[in-house]
Amino acid sequence: MAPSAAPTQVKEPFPISRIANRYLLFSIDIISHCRRNHNICGMLIGTIPNLSQQNVFLGIPLELMPEEARVLVEKGAAYIVDDEEVHRKTFGEMSREERLKWLEEVDKRGEEVTRGTENLKEMRKEKALKEKGLRRELLEKRECSVSESVASDATVQVEANEVSALGLGFIMKGSSFTDDSSIASASTVETALFDPRPTSPSPSAVSSTPKPATTQKHFVTPTTSYPPLPTPALDSNAQLPAVPKSYPLFRYLHSLGYYHMPGLRFGCHYNSYPGDPLRYHSHFAATGLGWDDEFDLLDVVGGGRLATGTKKAYMIGGEDASVVKKKASANAGAGLFSDYSQESDVREVRAFSIEWAAL
Amino acid sequence: MADEDEELSHLRASDAGEIDLTEETQDFRFLDKLTAGHDTSSLSLPKRGEKDFESHATNRQLDQLEASRQAMHSVLSWQRSHTQKNHVLAMYEPQSNMAYVDKVKSQHFQTIGTNKAGREWLLPEEALFLIERGTLDCRWPVKREEGDEANYKIEAGAPMSLQAAYAAFVGFEGGVGGKLTLEMYNVYAGLKRSGYVVYRTGTWEDDRGELVSLEPQTQEEVKPQPGLFTRFFSEIWRRLSEPTHTIKPEQLAFGPLIRPGLYRNYNDIFRLLQLIPSHDRTSPPSFTLPPSSDSPFRLHFDVYRTTAKFRKSARGTPDFRICVINARETTLPTGAQINDLMAQVPEDRPKEGEQLYKKLKHGCRNVILAVVDCGIPSYLRLADVPFSDERIYERSTKSTRGKGGGRGRGGGRGRGRGRGRGRG
Repeated sequence: MAPSAAPTQVKEPFPISRIANRYLLFSIDIISHCRRNHNICGMLIGTIPNLSQQNVFLGIPLELMPEEARVLVEKGAAYIVDDEEVHRKTFGEMSREERLKWLEEVDKRGEEVTRGTENLKEMRKEKALKEKGLRRELLEKRECSVSESVASDATVQVEANEVSALGLGFIMKGSSFTDDSSIASASTVETALFDPRPTSPSPSAVSSTPKPATTQKHFVTPTTSYPPLPTPALDSNAQLPAVPKSYPLFRYLHSLGYYHMPGLRFGCHYNSYPGDPLRYHSHFAATGLGWDDEFDLLDVVGGGRLATGTKKAYMIGGEDASVVKKKASANAGAGLFSDYSQESDVREVRAFSIEWAAL
Repeated sequence: MADEDEELSHLRASDAGEIDLTEETQDFRFLDKLTAGHDTSSLSLPKRGEKDFESHATNRQLDQLEASRQAMHSVLSWQRSHTQKNHVLAMYEPQSNMAYVDKVKSQHFQTIGTNKAGREWLLPEEALFLIERGTLDCRWPVKREEGDEANYKIEAGAPMSLQAAYAAFVGFEGGVGGKLTLEMYNVYAGLKRSGYVVYRTGTWEDDRGELVSLEPQTQEEVKPQPGLFTRFFSEIWRRLSEPTHTIKPEQLAFGPLIRPGLYRNYNDIFRLLQLIPSHDRTSPPSFTLPPSSDSPFRLHFDVYRTTAKFRKSARGTPDFRICVINARETTLPTGAQINDLMAQVPEDRPKEGEQLYKKLKHGCRNVILAVVDCGIPSYLRLADVPFSDERIYERSTKSTRGKGGGRGRGGGRGRGRGRGRGRG
């Protein structure tokens, strides 16, 4: 749970796109930043390019629950940008100069991709030749950094790592992927991003190597509109995201460092995780209620049984409006500098967990 | 979330094949199993990652989490690029919030798009999906300035970013009177990723779907007419076996349901016991609610399994029909809403001779509700179950008749009585 430094620093407040009243994140850096520093993970809903035939791993954009967006905005970590308006303005009325600049930017990225593919091709060629024992002088010249004595197994491994890293790297934007992978594989072999053993080259790859390197132009679809465009300014009049009445419970659990996922799969409002869901199991199936709400005992039985059956606890919680009021008035009386959250031990939000004892 | 040991283990077989990987926050470190070697033929889904119950603040745990995050970061920063050979260019059309493609180069267009005047037109969800999967390069139209008469090619337009595509195809929908929501797109994209062919049901332009009337029943006439003698005797049998005692409704309040008398058939007695009226499924369906543009219950997508002979010009009957609803804004449908939803679906009866339970489960009309909560879709099947049509007493008679048909004794009636006596 300890926040570790994000690879790329994100300047706060960062923008959250509002599109058709849904809150989306498109920048991978912001997505990582939210995960690491704000214990917010959202739901990836997009298709990963080149892996579009599966539903197991999903990609950008990331959809935030309105509660998550609200928490981020209330913390001052983010602000809402009306993405429809931004795009209508910038692209609907794009001047010639702006358009050419945009095209130039995209072309530049395309060239990077082309270069990346060429490099990859070279690497593959080298690897294929090496495995056949056909070392060319040209290649040896290039490998002056690698000493000849370790040329056997170790080199092949390093090369393989580089090849597979590049295999993914060439479709990535600027992030220093090769660095990441080498760090990871250096620290723990187990957590290496890629199988260190070289996969046998497919015949197609080998047969494609003798082809003359024809430079094919690449076109790029950028993921985000800003950057490259300047980030839209903070609009202080923007409305806070509308949240359901289960929000106080969400805010409370979030403030304690829990991560949340939508609760649809377990018939509750939120699934609460003690840490990043990438690593930890969920502990609670939480349902937020109003303080004086009546609810069916059967809901508690059903929720309790389901949650216990899935190694969780069912949780219900709500906010006591009278405590909130009392605190607000006490706060107003005490002046600006009082520390209202520590003033009394009566909490606004209380939560109860329910487990099925199965006696 | 659901993990192997977390599932209701006593309810589920521990068969690894049954585990639904999509239910899980996936560990992106395992993605290399999908991408290794770029050899598409050997792709297999990765095994679920191992997770911990809670933090035990060890470096190892932190390293693993860090590695997962790194892997996720790198996979998510892949960029969509198009080679010159596979470059499919499209132009965005702001008036209809659609996109068109002049040169169709991808096999995706066998199941996507509509051809109009030599151009392939893409609905918002189709265009967005193709952009998202890295197949389509969509361009913004070039703004014409005063006195600018130049004829711009599509290439001159600014390429649409993924973010812009979401803003346009989902965000601008409301502005042009479109009905696509992000939830519908989530469902569309999810089904497409799973390999289904998905089309809109109808045009979505009117406030509700079309009423599907009953197909004319032609089976009755196909029956071969028996000869005159057989008809004569069967008529006598029919008259004899017809219930001789019919009860008037006002009598029901006092007298017994079954009065003393001669009954030749248990079915007659059961028929007399059947008092509670049930929904008449033979009458044509009708809507009960007035048309309204904000009713969430209408058919949205026709879903087809992928087959080799699928042609988009003649799609045939869909395998599934889907209605997308937002879990956060919609409650369970009311009876009237279900009726109106079912009225948009043609009759889909189970096969004859199917098991009773299967028949009941299948229903005579069915709709799949795709409930979406912040990006997570969940599919429920709503079926109209004709309990009153599946008469248990008739079914048992039929099956004995089938068995004893070779013995040459006429009619199921006699045997029915005999069996009844034996048991009584």
